[in-house]
Amino acid sequence: MDAQALIEVETLAAVLDQLDYYAVLKLQPGAGAAEVRAAYHRESRVYHPDRFAAAGSAELRATIGRIYRRINEAYTVLRDDRRRERYLADVTGPDRARKLRFTEADEAQVKEERQRRIEEQFGQTPNGRKFYATATQEARGERWEAAERAIKSALVYEPANPRFKELLAQIQAELEKTRPRGDYRIR
Amino acid sequence: MSDDIAVGIDLGTSYSCVAVAREGGSPSVLPNEWGERTHASVVSFLEDGHVLVGNDAKKNIITNAEHTVASAKRLIGRFFFSDEVKKAQAVMPYGIVEGPNSSVRVEVRGRRLSIPEVSALVLKEMKAIAETNLGREVTRAVITCPAYFNDNQRQATKDAGRIAGLEVLRIINEPTAAALAYGFGKDLSQRICVYDLGGGTFDVSILEIGKDVFEVLSTAGDTYLGGDDFDDRIMAWLADDFLRTHGLDLRQNKFCLQMLKEASERAKIEVGRDGAAEVLVKSICQSPEGEVLDLRQRLEADQFNRMVMDLVQRTFKVCDEALQSARLTAHDIDAVILVGGPTRLPIIRTSVRHYFQKEPLTGVDPDEVVALGAAIQAAALVRGDAAEGGQASYLLDVTPLSLRVGTVGGFAERLIEKNTPIPIERSKTFTTSRDGQERVKIRVYQGESNRVEGCELLGEFEFTGFRVGYRGEVQIQVTFEIDPNGIVDVSATDLETGQRTSTTISLSSGLSEQDLRQAIDDNAGIELLGRAPAGV
Repeated sequence: MDAQALIEVETLAAVLDQLDYYAVLKLQPGAGAAEVRAAYHRESRVYHPDRFAAAGSAELRATIGRIYRRINEAYTVLRDDRRRERYLADVTGPDRARKLRFTEADEAQVKEERQRRIEEQFGQTPNGRKFYATATQEARGERWEAAERAIKSALVYEPANPRFKELLAQIQAELEKTRPRGDYRIR
Repeated sequence: MSDDIAVGIDLGTSYSCVAVAREGGSPSVLPNEWGERTHASVVSFLEDGHVLVGNDAKKNIITNAEHTVASAKRLIGRFFFSDEVKKAQAVMPYGIVEGPNSSVRVEVRGRRLSIPEVSALVLKEMKAIAETNLGREVTRAVITCPAYFNDNQRQATKDAGRIAGLEVLRIINEPTAAALAYGFGKDLSQRICVYDLGGGTFDVSILEIGKDVFEVLSTAGDTYLGGDDFDDRIMAWLADDFLRTHGLDLRQNKFCLQMLKEASERAKIEVGRDGAAEVLVKSICQSPEGEVLDLRQRLEADQFNRMVMDLVQRTFKVCDEALQSARLTAHDIDAVILVGGPTRLPIIRTSVRHYFQKEPLTGVDPDEVVALGAAIQAAALVRGDAAEGGQASYLLDVTPLSLRVGTVGGFAERLIEKNTPIPIERSKTFTTSRDGQERVKIRVYQGESNRVEGCELLGEFEFTGFRVGYRGEVQIQVTFEIDPNGIVDVSATDLETGQRTSTTISLSSGLSEQDLRQAIDDNAGIELLGRAPAGV
């Protein structure tokens, strides 16, 4: 290992705690999943502990270990779409200094967010979810009457679900279109 | 340079294998003096104090049943109260007893040995084979373990290496080693799946190979599923049949049971190779009237396939899990590597082909590929210049199980998710709950359940030597680290003073440093039959 590389390792180790995950992986903030993976492979080729297993002092190995653990930490957060989104918001926000590392609180928030999205999407009760699924399926098959029946049943279980209401409105609009028009309508 | 040699050892449940990668050459398996390339992981303790290891020891399973230890890997790193240990007690002819801290000990010839000590004897034999073959001393090795092994099991495997007088450079995962042996130096860019069905464990790993980088995307497994379970099915069938015709239960006698077990294993191999197997065990037992009875049966492939279908299906549940964690489908996989003896069975090959819609790779020896991969890794770790010589390969592995800490009410809070790349660290802050508290205890678990009962206990850590203050005032930052071997390390610092607190492990299935020293000494004193005394 040459002196140049050694200096690089030392400098990186010294500023490690001031770097955000993008900087750890030598990426521009906002990089996507593919770039993150490529960067992870690139940095692994440089800082993988195996490279230093037989060379250098114990101190160097400890330093490399610290850097590489941080690289893995960065990759774990940035490879996941939801976490990356959240992290990007954190480090570009006013609290940047405190948000450089992904913490338990962040993790909990991401989880909560995920849960909320799933619930919103499919409803909070098993029956609501079931009827909603049937309704979307029927709607896809353009069987509008059946879809309307299913989504109304879903709304019985969850009267306040905005997504259910939205779907009902859509279906009813479609039904309106297919309903025969003309003079023979019963008044 | 003479110092630059390290071997790769595949320490299997039923068979072990040792390989070396010489400078500039491709890795090769080191056979013993009789040309055998894989060696039964069986340790037989003889009357004269000698110890016999390998395929010859396996022959003693019947004649010296009570003093011959087989399948020790099934017990390694487990607590005495675990199901696996109970199961082993029922079927194994050797004595399995409880040691300190709920650990497992085997009792042979009046001596009590820990499981790492038994495995160390297998490793010692592998070391001796390598030394004889290479004509020089070997002190360093990379040892493989199933990807789904937890921290206790990995630690115990590492201890076994140390007891055998080896410096364990790294514990690597079997499927990862197989992938390395397959992709090393080939300049591939592929997503591959390693389907590793061993004697006692089943592992699946999904890897992305990008030239010299081997990134494990996900891993899943079942440490209670292996080729032995296939044998058990045949055994149950043979025994039930015998019971019906002769009214005698062969399973009641441990001697008959061993013969039955051996016949079942032979039948499985035969039925896989020839499509049918003739089972014949002469004079397996004696009827109460003194008549000597033989065991005769014919096993057809169809019948065998029906017997084991549910086991085969269980493996694909694990494949589903691994693919899901990697966010891939079977269609995204470019190549499938089969590892482990049981994958020679046509039923496995057909099912794998069906599941992945792809022919599994041939030309990879399922028994040897893991040892070859370990040898490549061993060579990379001892040769500092490998990276510059273009011979490099980087294994980016993951932790197979989530790491958790116990909280109030019997819950286990997740700190590090499974399939997180290792090495990794994570910190958590704990505060004291009483005024003047001097010690903080935490329990660390591994597993996927959020209740502690559903997880494996790794140990209880006790921190002392921090500032004493009012409750809630003292904050202790505990750092959990998983090292490249997949072994967990816990350390703590007082957040305010920044001083490291001392850590003691008060509950652990492993060996203490003192036990370990004792074991190393004991091991050095044991002579393996047919081998020169240690130190060649």
